[in-house]
Amino acid sequence: MIVVKELTFTYRESNQPTLRDVNLTIQTGSFTGIVGPAGSGKSTLMHALDGIIPHCATGDYYGSVMIDEIDTVDSDLTRISRLVGSVFQDIDSQVVTSVVEDEMLYGLENFGVPHDQIEERIEEALLQMGISELRERSMATLSGGQKQKVIIAAIMALRPRVLVLDEPTAELDPASSVSMYRLLRELARTFNMTVVVVEKDITLLSEFVDQLVILDEGTILFDDEPREVLKHSTELQKIGVNCPRATVLLNQLRSAGLIDAPVCINVDEACAALLEAIA
Amino acid sequence: MIEFANVCASYDSQTSVLHSVNFTIADGDFVAFVGSNGAGKSTTMRLINGLLKPRAGEVLIDGVSTSKIRTSEMASHVGFLFQNPDRQICCKTVRDELMFGFSATGRESEHAQSRVDAVIDEFGFAPDADPFMLNRGARQLLALASIIVMEPSVVILDEPTVGLDGLGIKKVMERIKRLNEAGTTIIMVCHDMEIVADYARRVIVMSSGRVIDDGATFDILRKPSTIETADLIPSQIIALSMQLASKSAELSQTNIARAHTLEEMRDAVSEQLARQGGSK
Repeated sequence: MIVVKELTFTYRESNQPTLRDVNLTIQTGSFTGIVGPAGSGKSTLMHALDGIIPHCATGDYYGSVMIDEIDTVDSDLTRISRLVGSVFQDIDSQVVTSVVEDEMLYGLENFGVPHDQIEERIEEALLQMGISELRERSMATLSGGQKQKVIIAAIMALRPRVLVLDEPTAELDPASSVSMYRLLRELARTFNMTVVVVEKDITLLSEFVDQLVILDEGTILFDDEPREVLKHSTELQKIGVNCPRATVLLNQLRSAGLIDAPVCINVDEACAALLEAIA
Repeated sequence: MIEFANVCASYDSQTSVLHSVNFTIADGDFVAFVGSNGAGKSTTMRLINGLLKPRAGEVLIDGVSTSKIRTSEMASHVGFLFQNPDRQICCKTVRDELMFGFSATGRESEHAQSRVDAVIDEFGFAPDADPFMLNRGARQLLALASIIVMEPSVVILDEPTVGLDGLGIKKVMERIKRLNEAGTTIIMVCHDMEIVADYARRVIVMSSGRVIDDGATFDILRKPSTIETADLIPSQIIALSMQLASKSAELSQTNIARAHTLEEMRDAVSEQLARQGGSK
């Protein structure tokens, strides 16, 4: 379980806090989305979870972040990185070798995983990500989406308890984005792994996550299951978080007193609600 | 006018990434190229601005083959907005960035200075600011402004909204819309069908290096076979409109079956409810 308590963080070069009094609980084995407009503090919150804050990025840090009851301030970055695997937005900045297999080996060998376990872990992680056929490929020949899967596989092979990803669908087309979210939900369910993604848009994401956390100007605006958060589509759009249009439509019709349907999160639900109201 | 006649392209001598592509784009059009990763959209964009020359067939800009024009010459006619503004921005101040296109082509004149001043005013930029200290949305706007300042007749946008939040998307796309209304041809690669539905008049669908469909935006977005073949996720309002029409013969005869935008659907549903004698 991740527990963030009264976290306020101000970068050394800034005179304003980027995160203000953030309180957040993320259950083990859940899939959570941290969403907000540009400059809302979501990447900072992600780095508070993966230990880069406070260990690498310096500034004024108040409050606490506990990962499975380990306080990230009291723990060193090596220990945190065994618990939390992170995938950056700029995938190329995370690639350290030139061949997929070497990329997989890099983390395993550096973490001192016994040699007799390495082959099994590589095979399993590549299979989970559906990229076994890429094992011998040069990293330079892979598409953005394929590189992303290799990096996630390399982290999966380390079997972290928590996986955090910064905009994992930025390079992907919508169909691949849906596959990515489906896969991340599977990882959370199958391995009881806590998966956290940072995104700007909730249109596709809201169908897959258990919990949506909306950040604005460094504070948590909403923290609930997607259906509850999507009740507030007007406020979300106002701060720059785009919502599913089917949800916005139904919310507008409900606000105008024209229909009395629950919040919908996709086209199928909106269709069913409208058929009941008007057909 | 931009014309592709049986265009084939490849990045090496063996693998062909475009196969006999044909289309014509008239001056002043607003066209979106859609399709999954690897469909050939970005290759097509590189062919339009001459960064890549066709292996077979011809790319004609106003009747002249791109194989016969220098790429630097093309740059003043065809502006190219990269997906990532950081691959475009190279100067230390906003003013220098906006002047870069003029200075790189030896056209630093009074006219150029006044164009830069006008764009700084229009976008509200701080001229001495360091571009790399701006946030992502502002950098994207600066990259767009550095193209607009050159007044190209064609602007190519490669995923112009990636990395932007909802407010940033609106700001960038509304400026592009105004540019098109003033006569500039806009060619946009875009994965987001909501943006395509909101702004593009025509859609060209690509899959595995081929054009598989080409037509008016709402005709294309209502074709299930095209959507499926190209692995697209349709805009939600159009998907909803089609689902409602397919499930109710009565609704298929109403404006609900023709609604393309959120506003049109809201009005169509309100009309239908009023027709039925009030809300439930």
